[in-house]
Amino acid sequence: MYRLADNVRVRKESWGLLFYSPPRHKVCFVRSGNWLSPDSLAGEWTVAGLAEGVAARTGTPAEAVERSLEKMTGQLINSRMVVDELR
Amino acid sequence: MNYADWPLSAPVNITWEITHKCNLNCVHCLSSSSEASPGELNLTECKNIADQLAASGVFEINFGGGEPLLKDYFLPLLRYIHDKGIITCISTNGTVLTDEFIEFFTDNPQINIQVSLDGATAEVNDRIRGRGTFHRIIGGIERLAGKNISMSINTVVTSLNFHQLSDLKEMAASYGARLRVSRFRPSGRARESWDMLRLNSAQLRELSDWLGDDPTILTGDSFFSISQDGRRQLGLDMCGACKLTCCIDPCGFVYPCAFMQEREFCGGNLRETLFEDIWNESTSFLCFRQLEPESCRSCFRFNKCRGGCPAVAYFVGCDLNSPDPECLANWSREALSKK
Repeated sequence: MYRLADNVRVRKESWGLLFYSPPRHKVCFVRSGNWLSPDSLAGEWTVAGLAEGVAARTGTPAEAVERSLEKMTGQLINSRMVVDELR
Repeated sequence: MNYADWPLSAPVNITWEITHKCNLNCVHCLSSSSEASPGELNLTECKNIADQLAASGVFEINFGGGEPLLKDYFLPLLRYIHDKGIITCISTNGTVLTDEFIEFFTDNPQINIQVSLDGATAEVNDRIRGRGTFHRIIGGIERLAGKNISMSINTVVTSLNFHQLSDLKEMAASYGARLRVSRFRPSGRARESWDMLRLNSAQLRELSDWLGDDPTILTGDSFFSISQDGRRQLGLDMCGACKLTCCIDPCGFVYPCAFMQEREFCGGNLRETLFEDIWNESTSFLCFRQLEPESCRSCFRFNKCRGGCPAVAYFVGCDLNSPDPECLANWSREALSKK
């Protein structure tokens, strides 16, 4: 399970999602197109859960979506925008 | 990363100089503040602007001035902005705190306070911020400390306080705060004190090393032109003017950043034009987004700093397209030429 790190804000942009961590003045750009919205990342979520929703909505094969979202999640964890609740 | 590849529908954060009124007269003040300007925005106009910023998705407003706590409607405006979900950072000189402000700041997760202090001793600080200010500022910091208020001590690094940075860090820690250092830039009254207070190249190099060795020091985006690679991961790492941020002045004029408040760079006035239109369509802002100093394009660090700070380049060399005179690569060239 993942969630946004404390204080992190998210906004929808034409190319995807913009993440902002105010204490660090750090931004993170995620080119997710229309796959995700800030609401998708509210509360706790799993990559599989997100992928299932995107696949159902867009018709993109779930495996491909999941691979892409795993990469995105890794990027967000590395930049400390998202935390892994299991750790 | 090239921000032009990631056009933003709105700024990430905005600097809002809410008044030019200030009870101090600091020699490096970027907006030459002392008296309120004629025609400063009223509360209704400010709320209208806040509505626009909230609707466009702005995450954060950094209030400065002038001394924002001297604006008569500042507290009601803060409450209004917080209700819109926007977080705020308040840059204050710490000398005019009232019980009401402290009560409002206490346990408030939507507020970060930056108290300006320009020396670890009265001798140094008071040469910049005025006689007697050191003890008044420390008094303000002591009133804020220990109340679950997110606080940093902000120091504009100059030749006077350069040797006190470690002391300032310790002093901040003793109040439960972090040290945030800002770059000294030649705008406002700082143009007159630039030659006296600016760091020389050896000091800039030393500062770069010091910042590189200590990730706990906050810098915002001030030092992208001298930041080493390790440091660059910590925050904004190139000029964000008109790309990630902009500045609203007390009368509603919108500028690329707080250090570029010249008429020729003005994007428009919020009394006449919607913020969204200024951000997306003003000639000045469109021009700033394309800024890439010609002489920097062949530099090995170009993809890291994109030419550095246009404000310093402009006020020192009168040319927006000239490189930042304090950039790290310039030192390297200087060092090579001496060998």
